Amino acid sequence: MSPSEDIARVYRFLSQCMQYPDTEWMNEEFFNVLYNLLGTLGALEDGVTIKKEIDNSADPIEDLQVEYTRLFINGVPHVVAPPYGSVYMDKALQGTFAGNTLAFYREKGFGMEDDADFPDHLIHELEFLSLMAEEHDLAGEEEFLKKLFRPWYGLFQARVTEEAHHPYYRVIVQLIDFFTKEEEKDGFQPNKA
Amino acid sequence: MAFNLTRRKFLQTASLAAASVPLAKVVSASTGISRSALEAKGTFGDKTVTGGICEMCFWRCQLVGKVRDGRLMKLEGNPKSIDNGTAICARGNAGVQLLYDVDRLKYPMKNVGKRGEPKWKRISWKEALDECGSKLKKTVDQYGAQGICVFPHGSSAKYPMHYFERAVGTHNVSEASFFQCRGIRDTAYVATIGKAPGEKIDMPNTKVLFFIGDHLGENIHVSHIKQYIQGLQNGAKLIVADPRFSASAAKADIWVQIKPGTDTAYMLAIMNYLVKNNKYDKAFVEDHTEGFDEFFAAIKEWTLEKAAKECDIPAEQIKEVAEMLAANAPHVGIHPGRHVSWHGNDFQRQRALACLTGILGAYYVKGGWVPAKGPKVGGVSWAKEDHGQEFDLNQDHQKDEKIYPFKPPGTPTELIRDCAISGKPYPIKSCVVWGQNPLQTIPGQQKMKDLFNAMDFVMCVDVMPTDVTAWADILLPEPSYLERFDFIKTGTQWDLSKEHQQYISARMPLVPPMFERKDQIYITNEIAKRMGHEAKIPVQTIEELVDKSLATANLSIEKLKAEDGIHIQPGKDPYGVPEDFTVMLFNEEIEDTGHPGAPTYIAVPDTPEGYARLLYGRAPVHTFNRSQNNVWLHNAMPDNPVWVNDKVAAKIGLVDGDTVGFVNSEGVESRTTTTVKVTAGIRKDCVYMYHGYGSANPLMTIGVGAGVDDQSLITKLAIDPETGCSGMRNNFVKLIKDGKVLDLSA
Repeated sequence: MSPSEDIARVYRFLSQCMQYPDTEWMNEEFFNVLYNLLGTLGALEDGVTIKKEIDNSADPIEDLQVEYTRLFINGVPHVVAPPYGSVYMDKALQGTFAGNTLAFYREKGFGMEDDADFPDHLIHELEFLSLMAEEHDLAGEEEFLKKLFRPWYGLFQARVTEEAHHPYYRVIVQLIDFFTKEEEKDGFQPNKA
Repeated sequence: MAFNLTRRKFLQTASLAAASVPLAKVVSASTGISRSALEAKGTFGDKTVTGGICEMCFWRCQLVGKVRDGRLMKLEGNPKSIDNGTAICARGNAGVQLLYDVDRLKYPMKNVGKRGEPKWKRISWKEALDECGSKLKKTVDQYGAQGICVFPHGSSAKYPMHYFERAVGTHNVSEASFFQCRGIRDTAYVATIGKAPGEKIDMPNTKVLFFIGDHLGENIHVSHIKQYIQGLQNGAKLIVADPRFSASAAKADIWVQIKPGTDTAYMLAIMNYLVKNNKYDKAFVEDHTEGFDEFFAAIKEWTLEKAAKECDIPAEQIKEVAEMLAANAPHVGIHPGRHVSWHGNDFQRQRALACLTGILGAYYVKGGWVPAKGPKVGGVSWAKEDHGQEFDLNQDHQKDEKIYPFKPPGTPTELIRDCAISGKPYPIKSCVVWGQNPLQTIPGQQKMKDLFNAMDFVMCVDVMPTDVTAWADILLPEPSYLERFDFIKTGTQWDLSKEHQQYISARMPLVPPMFERKDQIYITNEIAKRMGHEAKIPVQTIEELVDKSLATANLSIEKLKAEDGIHIQPGKDPYGVPEDFTVMLFNEEIEDTGHPGAPTYIAVPDTPEGYARLLYGRAPVHTFNRSQNNVWLHNAMPDNPVWVNDKVAAKIGLVDGDTVGFVNSEGVESRTTTTVKVTAGIRKDCVYMYHGYGSANPLMTIGVGAGVDDQSLITKLAIDPETGCSGMRNNFVKLIKDGKVLDLSA
């Protein structure tokens, strides 16, 4: 298994983490895998925090559904962080930024399925990164991160970090940040070509 | 949280391989991206999609959309339109922003918190519909159909409203567009000329326009404004009665700065003057009116002097207005208005407008009230059923008569609210709100909240999370007018003097609905199935409904598409009084119900010392609260400054731009503040603000707290005795500046 395929699995897992919570996939096995990943990263305490919150709840999935709805769909006091790039780049849904994202997918030979969300939804962008990694298209992955992911992700992450009530989303957005950010000195470098 | 290594190091180590393998086991499926064949897409360009019909307001202009790669980029008037033409207003343009508003409702949601303090959870349509169906059915099983009340508004609410009225069988349906807006106008004209008047004034061809409170220019409907401006360009004189120097008053030849609530006295004096001085249209009165003698006997006390005193205007000016009307009759347009639920004496005022038109002979003549002859298109909906009068709250069973004999369709709002809150004469336990925001459209917000709290179940269907949606148990998202089929709009060319033409158009989606929004046919039918009414469902889809309606005019969706969204056919000459047309100057039927048979002035409460009467009206870039979260429109007019008379302001030290709150005569304070507009253009005894600001719902991230919600200050309700409609301009306020309450003594 190559590192590229490994990171592809990570992207796809992160995309899964940002799907609407449902017992179909958000089960004990899922959380154990998440805790294991956090442990590997030296962030076991974050896993413990999430586990405590879940163990102390009568209906942990409903808690996460309410939190997801509040943060990403419609919430009180307001929808905190719509997970769409163009909300941050164009101040509206399905803006030019979403069109540019779709154009990038197409350029790489991919398209959106009919029942998919907008192309600039976080889960689609992460899945696309996974596909790029699976195809060993490192240059494409780098370019996409630089042009179409990182420009808005930091703004999104900041809102979630500040306003999330549930530790799960605070941790997940940082996890996504970790796997997608550029590191100036010893980290991931964009392709200068 | 901080990870103890860098991304790069992690990717380079064996840790990644070890950690990543289990990840695949818990990933359910792809999210929607798949490999597709590389296709030549050609040059991207705007595609023009026809068939749009606006609903940023109720005028419904015809649109085309410029669509680029599936995204609506711009809206324009449909060049084929003989109504609005290529023009649309600011609100029409801003429909693009509504479409992509991030605060819009996207998925069905369940409130797992409290009503008014919701905690929303996205749920599936099946769960949402099962809950709506089972809760509503339980109410019907336990309390009867009358146990459900419905507050609908707009074209998407018509089909569900008919379902609950006709198939389920509740009388308890109340539309704000009737009971808090134009219902009084319609029933008063029906009681006078047998027809609802619309705004059917032949303005382009008139010689004099007569407005009572109409503020065209701030109140903008495109073809209406085209008619108005054409009339003025053609040299029409304009008479405007308004306590405020409105956009129309600014163009008026005579501005009558009338005392609020006294309009009927003003018109009675005009009519009395015209009759006494033989300046009315005797031939028309002879041929087309009934009850002239009783009418004249009833109004003859209204001398110019008496009205001048009552209305606080010069007698000479009333005479000047009457003379101008008489000199130009019958080519005068006495505008019926639209939002007329003002003071609780409004049925009589609307009767006076209709009678004034009559004695001037200004029906069916150039420049008068002229109903255009439009095309006929049949409607399709739930079959009507007789559900009897037993549970009709408007029926006085002891006296065997109607409580409000001239009510508009539906049940007066207060009868429903009182019944729901008290449980008498029977329980109302479920509430359906569809496209209406009763917390801002109906006065008495606390009473509305009391109603919701008395319910076993509340469901709302809407496009935006308006204030009322916070009180829902289940909240369902519907597509906006740009994403759905529904309304069929018909009419004629906007200038009746031009070539006679008719048009038929149907609303068609300019882009597909996003997220999981579902149209009214789907939602209603699914609820109907769960309530046991499947066999009565009239159509399966919204397209079927539109096609069946269009078929009555030998049209179809496909045919309309082929004609760029608008079918145009030859029209008919609308001028000429029908032989059987009659104006009931005195109406015995009204008299028989215990109300005045001739137009009668009923005085309204005077302004208490230290207060000013709160007046409100339309903003040119907003449609009440419906557009308050639209960021384009918000930026154009972000709040609603309160107009204060300059002399009053000087006396109490207010200057332009001061920030103020409000307290009304019942001690209710505004939640928010606004700025002061100091002007000579308003009477001393009034203040004025635009309606539709100051949303209390934090979900409306743009509109929340922007400006002041006038409706929150309208706590004293007047009820029009003939119609049961609300009167909303009998509330009085003081201003609060820096925590100090300011007397507004004139």
